[in-house]
Amino acid sequence: MDFTLSENQRMLVDGLHSLCEEEIKPYYDGHQFMSEGSFDWHLIRLLGKKNLICPTIPAKYGGLGLDIVTTALLMEEISSYVPSLAAIIETNIHSIQPILLAGTDAQKKLIFSDCIGENTCLLAYALTEPTGGSSLKSMYTFAEKTTGGYIINGYKSYILNAPEAKYILLFAFTDQLHKKSSLRCFIVPTGTPGVKIDRECQLNTLDYARISNIAFDNVFIPDNLVLKNNEPYSGYFLLHQTMDIGKALIAAASVGMASAAYNFAFSFAREREIAGKSIFQFQSIAHSFADMATKIEMARLLTWKACWLIDSGEDFAVASSMAKLAASRTAQEIGACAMDIIGAAALVKGTPMERLWNDIRMLSIVEGTNNLQKDIIAGLL
Amino acid sequence: MQLTELGELGKRILTAREEKKMNQEQLAGAIGCSQSALSNYEKGKRQIYLSQLEKIAETLEKPLNYFLENLDQQSDKAEPAANENDVFYQPVSASIQQIISNIFLLDNEAIEDLDQYIKFLLWKKNKF
Repeated sequence: MDFTLSENQRMLVDGLHSLCEEEIKPYYDGHQFMSEGSFDWHLIRLLGKKNLICPTIPAKYGGLGLDIVTTALLMEEISSYVPSLAAIIETNIHSIQPILLAGTDAQKKLIFSDCIGENTCLLAYALTEPTGGSSLKSMYTFAEKTTGGYIINGYKSYILNAPEAKYILLFAFTDQLHKKSSLRCFIVPTGTPGVKIDRECQLNTLDYARISNIAFDNVFIPDNLVLKNNEPYSGYFLLHQTMDIGKALIAAASVGMASAAYNFAFSFAREREIAGKSIFQFQSIAHSFADMATKIEMARLLTWKACWLIDSGEDFAVASSMAKLAASRTAQEIGACAMDIIGAAALVKGTPMERLWNDIRMLSIVEGTNNLQKDIIAGLL
Repeated sequence: MQLTELGELGKRILTAREEKKMNQEQLAGAIGCSQSALSNYEKGKRQIYLSQLEKIAETLEKPLNYFLENLDQQSDKAEPAANENDVFYQPVSASIQQIISNIFLLDNEAIEDLDQYIKFLLWKKNKF
């Protein structure tokens, strides 16, 4: 078993680390992002220049063609600086995944060409509805077959990137009985008549990202924008595989956020003095750091294993859920511990630790709640 | 995919493999996975994805639908717990769908009006 990073991986991570230190962190720390007004593309453009907004796009289509292990390394790095930027990128990666898995060459060319370089577009992945996120039987967005395509009606909620997205990867049933075999994945250009980017969600998390609800009102989507249109269950399979890969990347982001919280607390504990010595020198505090460092390493190893299984084509469904469950829980434990060590200063609105904590809080909810991960793991034991 | 569906799918893979007179090692080699992975597919103990199932279907010369047809019914059998009075588990008509999607286009004041009107209709229904 070899945990050594390849030369290319080392180069990518080091390059990203420098970019984060020199440009991304100062910019993010110097700005409070509001959900009103126009979206600030600056950080997207910085990473876009390095082709890092959709790094899994194959080289054949102009991307970096990174595997999931390498992508996870980058996600960990970005999320340790700006979690909401990592969330935007993860959403783009998530959105192209069904196309990577099942898209035609024409579909790949259409979408991937817009996701390359500095002027990359953003993508949205629309699954959750007001009636539920994880239960397919609570989904009410339907696509009715018509000549040459489908007419889609429905509503999706909490869709990250939606206000800025050029395309939406939409999941909808094609029959009203909610048969899994009828689930399909649609590529919906946001400029299509009937697509209404609805009220922007005011969430106390992911401050750099934009999140909206989307209404689909008699939206016509041609057959050539449906993935595996004629294959029963295609949407269901693609949904599961995409989510199983996405969970590993959320785990990687969780490790990055856990590390960031650890680092905030570590710097504070080294500098803060009580009775003439730093609080780090008190055994109770030092042991907290020993526990935190160990937990981060455990979460990282589970994450790497899940990513390695994905890249190797091995069974990764359980490993991904375990990684997501463990890493998000670790980030929340370490975030809470770091807040306790830093004290009241960590609660001041707009400070780095307070912003980080708001982002850490959502980790047990996104990409399938942690309770759902337990159901998945238990079901496959 | 749920456990009941994976179990049924696994049985269909096993049946098709035996019909084709292939052993696990041969099929695993043909589709590029380990024998233990194939064994777990057949036992319904491993999540299967579309690309792998397509390879199995091609190798065993069966249409994809052979493996997938009516698989929904397996999970439906396993999930009869839904209360028939629960609107979320009932198929909904196109007009109800339209109403649901339109509701989300209303502003808060209009939703309050709608809520009052629905309560009035329910009151009327119960009264008469």
